[in-house]
Amino acid sequence: MGMNWLAKIAGLAEVPVFVAIGEGAPSDTASSLCKNPALRSVETPRAAAILLVVGTIPDALLPQLHRLHDQLPHPRATVLWHSGNRLSEATTVGGREDIGASLKDTHKGLLAGSLATEPDILPDVPPNEWRGIGPHGQGGKGMMGGTPYGRPMAMTAADLRDGLELDAYTADFGPFLPMFPSGLALTLTLQGDVIQSVAVVHPPFENHENRGWVLLNLMGLPALAERMLRASNFSNPTLHRIIRLSGARAAIPKGLGRTHDGSDVRTRFDLLTDTSNPALNLHVHQTGLDDLLIGLEWHEAMLVLNSFDNASLRAICANTSASEPSSMEDSMDHGAHAGHMS
Amino acid sequence: MSFAVAFFVVLAFMICGVFIAAVLDAFFYRWLAGRSGATLLTPLYAAAAELSRQRLTTEAPDRMNWFLSISGFLALGAIGLAVVPLGPQSAVIGIETSVVLWGACESLVVVLVFLHGWSPNSPLALIGAYRYVAIGLPVMLLSMFVLIAAALPAESLDLRAIVISQEGLWNVIRQPLGLPLFLLLGLSLTLRGPLDYGDSADLAGGTSIEDSGANRAGWQVARLAMLVGFSAVAASAFLGGYLGPVLPGIVWLALKTLTVMAVIIAMGHLLARMPVARMLGLIWKVLLPIAFLDLLLAGLVALP
Repeated sequence: MGMNWLAKIAGLAEVPVFVAIGEGAPSDTASSLCKNPALRSVETPRAAAILLVVGTIPDALLPQLHRLHDQLPHPRATVLWHSGNRLSEATTVGGREDIGASLKDTHKGLLAGSLATEPDILPDVPPNEWRGIGPHGQGGKGMMGGTPYGRPMAMTAADLRDGLELDAYTADFGPFLPMFPSGLALTLTLQGDVIQSVAVVHPPFENHENRGWVLLNLMGLPALAERMLRASNFSNPTLHRIIRLSGARAAIPKGLGRTHDGSDVRTRFDLLTDTSNPALNLHVHQTGLDDLLIGLEWHEAMLVLNSFDNASLRAICANTSASEPSSMEDSMDHGAHAGHMS
Repeated sequence: MSFAVAFFVVLAFMICGVFIAAVLDAFFYRWLAGRSGATLLTPLYAAAAELSRQRLTTEAPDRMNWFLSISGFLALGAIGLAVVPLGPQSAVIGIETSVVLWGACESLVVVLVFLHGWSPNSPLALIGAYRYVAIGLPVMLLSMFVLIAAALPAESLDLRAIVISQEGLWNVIRQPLGLPLFLLLGLSLTLRGPLDYGDSADLAGGTSIEDSGANRAGWQVARLAMLVGFSAVAASAFLGGYLGPVLPGIVWLALKTLTVMAVIIAMGHLLARMPVARMLGLIWKVLLPIAFLDLLLAGLVALP
């Protein structure tokens, strides 16, 4: 009985949804979801009750989707929308149906116990078997490095900036991280939060979404980001005034993410938050992600990634030189850390 | 006011404060975002939804420190409120070094936020933890200068004496640089907007990325409790605390605390956050010298 009243009250809350975008998702997905008063899009699967898959996740990324699914706390459910995927026990909602009402019903069903929570897709075992490489079996040196049981570990390496020996950590990030353009998965080597190397695992899906709202969100302005998503036209003078007064433009370092055509994140931010000239006409040939991201801190790197239109970012990913895995890392899976990284 | 009465007043103050802060935050966010549908009970519904979900853990977490970080953060907010005088000579923790105790709480917030990012054994959470420490330390220095300046006219490190010293003139007027700088500390302690380097969106939630169920609800409540504790301290150190005409002292304290709280919430939603290196430059090169100037001016004015 004790849970009944809690479940009833919880059923009145906005449904916390983690959105995984796939191929063919409508470009106004974020906008239409945020306009739905029954939903709240959350930034980590740990905070979600429902995993909403919009569009079709290609086979190559299904392992990441399964891992993402298993990170939602119970009781949980998966809803597929505009999607050609098939997941056991997931509910499929047609593109024309009211997604808000469907999610609300699913959430209430979960809370009341009339809908069973979904079990894990993956077995609760380490993704890799123990590999007897190195003195401690993890493939690194001493007590560090390698990927024991498929979990990447840090290993000391020279820092790009001052040559100090600091812990370098190589792992896969994406393709469902909310601060990454959808579909983009990268293998990054980090020292602290400074990016030391980058390789593209999967390029972003084709999508014509304006990422201006994401830039605002990345700068700690989620309410303004939502206001921009809701605005029927971005040239709303009140919105512009508030964005200007927030200092968002000044917060972006000058010259950050400069491409060969001379544009930087600031100029691209201006274009993305102003529809008087919505078409970005960037020249990104010869520019790769390694040129743009290496040496940047995480926050700056996220601003750079989201400052490009989809076509330019896909071109940049194509220009990025392939990774040269060291013999130690060869054939090791970097993507299987226990935490939320996909 | 006896200790028992003061204790229950502070407890009621904290519970109401956390609720009002959550409602204010929800309403301000929605007003700014253009979203409708908020009611006074919205935060309660959200809390119930969190509590009805499983508390997940990660692989090989530091369970003890995970629990300690959330409960400790909540306790620090409560201590902040407990050092605040509710009337002449009445505070739950009425000691002559209450400003020092509050300073220790500020520093411990850095430790606890770090532990919160450390404990889940997750890379993005750990980045949030280290980043918070990098920004938290200079912000603490800034607040120390500002608080010492506020203590100078009272010639005491007792918050009760600091409030009494403002009977003629509030510190916000006597030391105009003090409160704005102190509000930046509030943004940092409560992980909000331009100084939220621990739980930010570029890290998908940073130190709280792995929190679910009761842990997530607990961390959010602890952040709100720290907002209440900080706002009451700021109201006492700069806005005369319980001092005011006609109304009872506790009502004045509540009104001033509410004002500071509303300003922090508004700043959190309206001001952009810059990348870490740029913010570090701003704090060390611009804000710390301004804080030192504040201390210098306060010292010159306080000289007999």
